Amino acid sequence: MSATKSNGGREGQPPPSPTFLDQVYEFLSSVTLAIALLAFIAVTSIFGTLIKQQATPAEYLSFYSDSTYAIIRFLGLDDVFHSRWFVAAISLFVLNMIFCSLPRFIKLLRSRALIKVPNQKTLDAMGLRCLVPGKRIEDVAGVFKRYRNAQTNEGSRVLERGSLGRYAVYMVHLSIILILVGGLIGSLFGYRGPLTLAKGEIKDSVTARGNKGEIRPLGFALKLTDFKVSFYPSGEPKDYVSNVDVMENGKSVLQKSIRVNDPLNYKGVNIYQSSYGSNPLFVFDIGGERVELGQGGVYKKEKLHLMAVRYEKSVHNFGPGVLVAYVQENGQPQTSWFLKDVPRLRERSILGTTVRLDDIKEEFYTGLEVSRDPGVWVVWFGFALILFGLCVNFFFYHRRIYLVEVPNKGVLVAGTALKNKEGFKEEFEKLKGRLGCS
Amino acid sequence: MFVSNEILAVVTFLYLFLFFGHLVYFAAKSERVLTFVWVALYITFGLHTAGLIARWVESYRLSVGHAPLSNFYESLIFYGWCISLTVISMKKRLRFPLLTMFACLIALGFMGYASFSSSVDKKIQPLIPALQSNWLHIHVFTCFIAYAAFAVSFLAALFSIFNWKRIMPPEETLEELNYRSVMVGFPMLSAGILTGAVWAHYAWGSYWSWDPKETWSLITWIFYALFLHARFARGWKGRRIALLSVIGFASVIFTYFGVNFILSGLHSYGAA
Ligand code: HEM
Repeated sequence: MSATKSNGGREGQPPPSPTFLDQVYEFLSSVTLAIALLAFIAVTSIFGTLIKQQATPAEYLSFYSDSTYAIIRFLGLDDVFHSRWFVAAISLFVLNMIFCSLPRFIKLLRSRALIKVPNQKTLDAMGLRCLVPGKRIEDVAGVFKRYRNAQTNEGSRVLERGSLGRYAVYMVHLSIILILVGGLIGSLFGYRGPLTLAKGEIKDSVTARGNKGEIRPLGFALKLTDFKVSFYPSGEPKDYVSNVDVMENGKSVLQKSIRVNDPLNYKGVNIYQSSYGSNPLFVFDIGGERVELGQGGVYKKEKLHLMAVRYEKSVHNFGPGVLVAYVQENGQPQTSWFLKDVPRLRERSILGTTVRLDDIKEEFYTGLEVSRDPGVWVVWFGFALILFGLCVNFFFYHRRIYLVEVPNKGVLVAGTALKNKEGFKEEFEKLKGRLGCS
Repeated sequence: MFVSNEILAVVTFLYLFLFFGHLVYFAAKSERVLTFVWVALYITFGLHTAGLIARWVESYRLSVGHAPLSNFYESLIFYGWCISLTVISMKKRLRFPLLTMFACLIALGFMGYASFSSSVDKKIQPLIPALQSNWLHIHVFTCFIAYAAFAVSFLAALFSIFNWKRIMPPEETLEELNYRSVMVGFPMLSAGILTGAVWAHYAWGSYWSWDPKETWSLITWIFYALFLHARFARGWKGRRIALLSVIGFASVIFTYFGVNFILSGLHSYGAA
C-alpha cells in the first residue's frame, strides 16, 4: 500500500520523476498487463487441451519423439494447469486485479463526497441540455421520479440514477478473486479419492488421489447395504443406486440412496456415485448345501477344504468356469476347473462329497467418489456475485442530471452518462417531452 | 420417422427460403419484400419451436422423456433456434436485413448439417445417469444463447471488416451491435460455465476438472473478457476490436465442434 501513497504524493509540486516503486506500481496496475496476462493464460490453456495432461511417460513416448517429450517435460506442458509458471501467471493476475481495482474503487467512494455542479462552460458543452422556461427547480424535480437526489445546493441540484452500475465492475473483479481463493482452499485443505464397496462391505477411509496419495479417514464408516444398476432396453445404463448406511461407533446413523447427481453429504464429506463394476459369484451345491463363493472365497467343513481361485469368462471356448483348489486325501493341494456350461465338468466328487457348480452370478460393486472441499462455499458465493455483478454492469448504467436555475429564464437541465450514451439520449428525449422544454 | 424430424426438415428449407428472400430484397430494395421476409421469419421461428416441442413430446412417448438438449443433433437444432431468437429479439433496436440474412444462413448451416449429415445421429436417445439433471437444461440453454449472441457479434465484426458501403450499416452502429451482443453473450456464457460447474460438482464431486470442453469454454470466456477490457479500458476501436470478435467466435466454434471431434472428454455430444 506504500505504492498507493507514493502515487498520491506525485500530485504535489514540483512533480518528482517516477521512482522505481512508482514504475512497478504503474506496471502492476495497468490494464495492458491485464490484457497480456489474459492472453497468456488463454494461449497456454490451449496447450493444456491439445497435449494430454498428467499421462504416464510411456503414453507420451508412444505419441511424441524423445526430444519432443523432453521439451514438453521441460516446459511443464504435461501438467499445464499445475505448473509453476501457470500458477505464477494466475497469482500475478490476481495482484494486477487488486492493484488496478482497489485504488479505483477507493477513488469512486471518495468521489461521492465530492459531487458538484460543473461550471457553466462544462454545462454548455454537454450534448444533452435544455432550458425549462419560467420554472423553478422544485417544479421541475418532480419529473425525475426515478432519480435519486445526490445533492441539493442553493439554486442547483444534482440527480443520479443507476449508481449501482458503477460498483458492478468491482463486484465482478472481487468475485474472480473469491473463486480463485475458494479453489485454493479446496486444493490445500480438501481431498478426493475413489472408494469401491461390495455389498455388505464397510470402509472408513479413502486413499486420496494425486501426489498426496495418503490415506484419509472419513470420520465415519460407510456400509453398502445394496447396489442396483438398471439399464434401458438399448443396453445403456439408466440408473445406479448405492444404498448406504452411515455408521458411527458401529451404529447406523443415516441411510441414503446415492445416485448419480444425488450425492451423500455428511460432515463436510461428499460421496458421489461414479462407476460400478462386477465380480463373479459362484453358486455351488456342496453335498446338498447351497454355497455362494466370491473369487478367493473359501469353504471349510470338516475335512473338506476348498477355495474358488480364479474366474475365466471362457475356458478353452467351453464357456465360463472357475478354478477350484482343494486339499486331497493325502494332504496334497490340487486344482480343477468347474465349467458351468459343460455337464460333465460341472460336477466332481471331492473327498466323497459331490460338489456341483450350479451358477455363476455377477455381483455388482459400486464405485464411489469421495471428496471434501472446504472451499466450495466460497466458490459458490463467487459465482453468485459474478453473475449478479455482470447483470448489474450490463443492464444498469450510471447517469447524472444537473438542474441549475438561470435567473429570470428558468431551469437549465443537463445530463451526462459515461456508458450507454444512446440509451441515455433516448431517455433524455422522453424527459424533455415531459418537461416541455426546448 | 418422427413428426418432429419432418417439421425440422421443413424449417431447414424455410431458412434457405429466407436467405433467398433477403437476396430478393437487396435486388429489389422494396420494403414490402422485407416485411414479407420478417413475417416468414416469425413463421419459421414458430415452426422451429414447434419442432423442438414435438421432439420433446415424442421423447416422452418413447418413455425416455427429456428436453431436446441432450445430444449433438439436438444441440445443432437448438443452436439454430437460439440464433433466430436472438435476431428476433434484437429487431426493435437493430434491424438490419444484412444481419438477418447472414443469421438465417448460419441457422441454415446448422439445421442442414443436423438434418442431412449422415454422421449426426437423429435418434432420440435415453439419458445416461450423468445427464439426468435439471442443471442440464439451464446449462445448455445459457451456453447456446451465449453462442448465438457471439455469432451476431461475429457478423457485426465481419461487416465492419468487409466494409461494403452500399448495404452496410454505419460503422458506429456495427460497433454498437458488436458490443451489445457481447453484453448479452458474456453474462450468458458466464452463467453457462458456472451452472456447468455446479452441475459437475453434484454429479461427480468436482466443479472444475480441466476437461477439454471446460477448458475451451474458459478460453472463450477469457477471450471475451479481454475484448471488454480492450474496448473499455484501452479504448480499442474499429478493425482491432472487430478482429478480436472474429477470434472470439472462432474459439466458440472450436469449443462447440472442435473439442467434440478432435479432443475428447466428459462432454460426449460429438461421439453420438
Ligand atoms: C477474467 C478476469 C476479468 C473479468 C471477467 C473482468 C470483468 C470486467 C468487466 C465485466 C468489466 C466491465 C466492462 C464493461 O462495462 O463492459 C471490467 C472492467 C474493467 N476491468 Fe476487468 N475483469 C477481469 C480482469 C481484470 C484485471 C486483471 C484488471 C486489472 C488491470 C481489470 C481491470 C478493469 C478495468 C480498469 C475496467 C474498467 C473499469 C471502468 O470502466 O471504470 N480487469 N472488467
